[in-house]
Amino acid sequence: MDKKVKIKICVGTSCFVQGGSDLLLYNDFIDPEIIEKCDIEGISCFNACKGHENGSAPFVMINDKIYGDMTPEKLNKIVIEVYHARNK
Amino acid sequence: MLEINNQFTHLKSKVYATVLKCFFNGTLEEDIDKIPFWIIPKDTDPSRCCIYKERAMVRYRILAFLGINIEKDDDEMKPLSDYYREVISKQMKPLPVLTTISTACSACPQDQYLISDACRGCYARPCLANCPKDAIEFINGKASIIQEKCIRCGKCQEVCPFNSVLHRLVPCEGSCPVDAIKKNEKGFVEIDYKKCISCGKCSRSCPFGAIVERSSIFPVLQILQSKERTTAIIAPAIDGQFPGTLGQIKTAIKMVGFDDVVEVSEGAELTSINEAKELEHRIKRGDKLMSTSCCPSYVEIIEKHLPKLNAIKSDTLSPMAYTAQLVKERDPNTKIVFIGPCLAKRVEAVKLKTVDGVITFSELASMFIAKDIDVKEVQEADLGDTHSFEDCRDFAISEGVKGCVIKRMEDPSIVKPYNIDGIDKKVFKMLKVIDKIPSKGNFVEVMVCDGGCINGPGTIVKPKIAMKLRNGNTQAITKAMKKERLY
Ligand code: FES
Repeated sequence: MDKKVKIKICVGTSCFVQGGSDLLLYNDFIDPEIIEKCDIEGISCFNACKGHENGSAPFVMINDKIYGDMTPEKLNKIVIEVYHARNK
Repeated sequence: MLEINNQFTHLKSKVYATVLKCFFNGTLEEDIDKIPFWIIPKDTDPSRCCIYKERAMVRYRILAFLGINIEKDDDEMKPLSDYYREVISKQMKPLPVLTTISTACSACPQDQYLISDACRGCYARPCLANCPKDAIEFINGKASIIQEKCIRCGKCQEVCPFNSVLHRLVPCEGSCPVDAIKKNEKGFVEIDYKKCISCGKCSRSCPFGAIVERSSIFPVLQILQSKERTTAIIAPAIDGQFPGTLGQIKTAIKMVGFDDVVEVSEGAELTSINEAKELEHRIKRGDKLMSTSCCPSYVEIIEKHLPKLNAIKSDTLSPMAYTAQLVKERDPNTKIVFIGPCLAKRVEAVKLKTVDGVITFSELASMFIAKDIDVKEVQEADLGDTHSFEDCRDFAISEGVKGCVIKRMEDPSIVKPYNIDGIDKKVFKMLKVIDKIPSKGNFVEVMVCDGGCINGPGTIVKPKIAMKLRNGNTQAITKAMKKERLY
């Protein structure tokens, strides 16, 4: 059985105003077939924006790994990668 | 115009939030000169030539945030802390809203049509046949444009079967609807303030960030720090700008330090009622056309460029003006700060005198970040009885104003409405003769920003996202995303 990719998009103020809002249009930039295989939700600030380890806002958590400086293109790419790596 | 999310807007929000954090901590005076180094540390990979220029740009952003008129008052020898002390000790002139940073300006060459390598030197030569100024010549069998003759009409580009004509643009000049952007003798950008309508389109188009808005947030911060009562009046476009409901946004604004929050949609109801009456009256007395009056950039266009349109512009006050009146009636001693998507509202506020400060949504967002306020997490405030003006929240969206007005007319059948959704150079030309083309209708809604206020220069999110977050979708954002795929 396919394992779902867990995508958590931060909608805390820092992330949201620094480009995170764009990620909410994921239907426009992720292949619908892949979206089917994902669990996507918006989450509150998880403090990644307060440190420097993971880059800058906006942040997204994919299967519990934190990714910073997220853009729609980057998110699409990572989701595809993660999905294929899981279901090999 | 540039996409709302780009490297430049991200830098801007970082600078704003950092400055505000220091301000709220009471350390701004001692820290302000360090901020460029914090934001661009040694190991940064620069997008401009070097980190030193990047730091200089951060410095300019800070100056703009302090409200300094960079064009006039830039002194490179002067520490930011000196500027800061001045800003908090004396009253700054709130206008002009925009200023330029000549060091950032790339002195883009004049816009030009050029013929690229794609030209095949074809036999039909439609470019030659269609150029109204004989500006095309053929050299070695390929087309070329004689720039002295070219009037940049673009005909050759339209007709070339190989798509070989290139239009090199100057983004700031191209975006200005009223030709208020000029180049000085050195080729750097300058704004002609006699023409400028404060719409902010140029600042959103320049990919080098050479045109910036002078913030007026510091006078507002000072009001907030004083013991005076302060009421935030929030523009209808605010719904959809933050990841939370209107009630949550209201709470968050109070957490920043405002004593009360009032929706400008309340004043928009009065605008609608009065404009409906005025429209009926005007149509009955035989007026051929009336326009709305709530867009302050449009009002600037009339004042600075087309005074004859005063005859068609409605005399009804704007939602901001009515809201300020309402607030003052209820609470005569309160200061009033307008929070909106618009830069030109500052011009209106200066004229009105009832509004004490104007800030944008993005400035508000920086306050939230600096104070660690997560809009989505805060309790929802009671919005009170919004029943009568709920529909007026649509003032933020193109066609919303005319809808609210018409709904409040006694006899809507006499009105034939249309709307002008965004003003660029072309539409501005059309405006010049708008009173001569009554056939389109007798009531016109005018918005300078395409799509209405939700696409204003002070917004945070794309109109498309704002529209999805409005309509109550903001509730339970997490669940909604998951279950219904609203996004
Ligand atoms: S706002 Fe996203 S991690 Fe803090």
